[in-house]
Amino acid sequence: MDLRGRRGPGQAGKQQGEDCPPKPPTAALLEVDDLHVSYGRIRAVQGVSLMVPDAAVVALIGANGAGKSTLLRAISGIVRPHRGAVRYLGEDLVGLPVHRIVRRRVIHVPEGRGMLARMTVLENLRLGGFALKGAAHGKSDLERVFALFPVLRERRGQLAGSLSGGEQQILAIARAMMARPRLLMLDEPSLGLAPLLVREIFRIIPRLTAEGTAVLLVEQNARMALQCAAHAYVLQTGRVVLSGRAADLLVAPEVQRAYLGAG
Amino acid sequence: MPDMVFLAFLVVDGALAGAIYALVALAFVVVYKASRMINFAMGEWIMLGSRMVAAGMHAFGLGLGGALGFGCVGMVAVAMAFNRVVLRRLFSRSLLSLIMVTIGLGIFMRGSAALVFAGIPGGIARPLPLDPVVIQGVPVSPDKLVAAAIAGACIAALSWFFHGSRTGLALRAIASDQQVAMAVGIDLQRHFAITWALVGVLSVLSGTLWSFASGGGFGLELLGLKVFPIVIVGGLDSLPGTIVGAFAVGILESLTAGYIDPLVGGGFSHVASYVVLIATLCVRPYGLFGRPDIERV
Repeated sequence: MDLRGRRGPGQAGKQQGEDCPPKPPTAALLEVDDLHVSYGRIRAVQGVSLMVPDAAVVALIGANGAGKSTLLRAISGIVRPHRGAVRYLGEDLVGLPVHRIVRRRVIHVPEGRGMLARMTVLENLRLGGFALKGAAHGKSDLERVFALFPVLRERRGQLAGSLSGGEQQILAIARAMMARPRLLMLDEPSLGLAPLLVREIFRIIPRLTAEGTAVLLVEQNARMALQCAAHAYVLQTGRVVLSGRAADLLVAPEVQRAYLGAG
Repeated sequence: MPDMVFLAFLVVDGALAGAIYALVALAFVVVYKASRMINFAMGEWIMLGSRMVAAGMHAFGLGLGGALGFGCVGMVAVAMAFNRVVLRRLFSRSLLSLIMVTIGLGIFMRGSAALVFAGIPGGIARPLPLDPVVIQGVPVSPDKLVAAAIAGACIAALSWFFHGSRTGLALRAIASDQQVAMAVGIDLQRHFAITWALVGVLSVLSGTLWSFASGGGFGLELLGLKVFPIVIVGGLDSLPGTIVGAFAVGILESLTAGYIDPLVGGGFSHVASYVVLIATLCVRPYGLFGRPDIERV
């Protein structure tokens, strides 16, 4: 079975003469076009194209070192691609400094969460909303986040570094939500977390899309990612090898064998 | 003077000096926390700040308030120019380059101040009478008292700024982790500029206050050097520790001047804080309040 580069969503790995499912109806929020990112001589991302529709969940799965994290870092401006474009609402983000991209409400929650350990939970949350000018909505945003995650309200005076791994992950997502993201990029949110907490985090994702936030989800836990996403891409050594509707990929034998531990 | 009164006098005198040292040390630490830069030119910044105030008074005939305003505007301009012309280009260079640049800037400031302010007297007139005040039987110099009070007010204002304002929150975030600060949308370059502008303003204030307290422009560069024992004792990473360290150094110098100088013939007070610096480093390398840089992997 040929797993090599099929471009764009809406084309599941064709198997047994299946029809192509229709293209997603909503407009593209984010279009990554033939992106190439290297760390020195190491080619981490080699010609990746993908699309994230508005208010949808797109999953990016693949083994360690496939280039998923690098791709997110290239979109958020932390690393600079040497070829290709990242079009967000029509505008190319390549070359913009990180804080400008954040101000366009493209929020990246990195692997390892990126906590300001020596500041309190409340301060971390307030910083999340930093890019939003005007404190008018700050209080209501905070209340919204506390309502979703009561544990943060309890611990709001505590130093972020003293929280457990799971609580830090929740804080990281809550902080990202304070910025009212239009596109939220989550890098391995389930890493190192107990299954119960993982389920809780994945329960929040549909609520985000219901409120209009698109989510680009990088996950090693392929099953959970495919179950909650609408579309998915499979990355292998820096290239997209499979793409399509998440539901289709979930049952595709190649995916089951390679990433879902079946067969 | 009876012994207890003498001791009290020394402690008070040292503490008053310590308040001004604290302003200088805070200017130093603020830059370190934001960008890990060691500003070796602290003394020159203070010298330039106070000369600008003096120029405002003598060359433009401004009153004290006007001259302070003039000095602040001038030093903020210097800070912005330094940030834009020099620091922006060195953004991703090594820390060593950034430190060397501060030394170069210090030399440049010294040279250009001599040129620009040639012929303008450097002293700043004191607005208060000289008669010492006696409080609870302890003689206190009113100059030093007022200077320390103003310094104290500035420190309180700085503390409010860092903990109560949005910009202060951003600066603390940058000090904690630059990458994370960028990730929440903080413009690093702009906040570095704000940090250096703060250094400029603090230089003007501490230079002027020191001129009041010590009666003349002597030793302003020495003031800059005092930063090192202060931050080593107090820990480079801790603002409250820096303040404590400043008072400690001030009191130590005063006590040394009062008790040991007469025995060794004078001048040891200047050295005493450096002896303590070395001793502290031997026992607690991160300073009394500093935190070891251990990160949770």
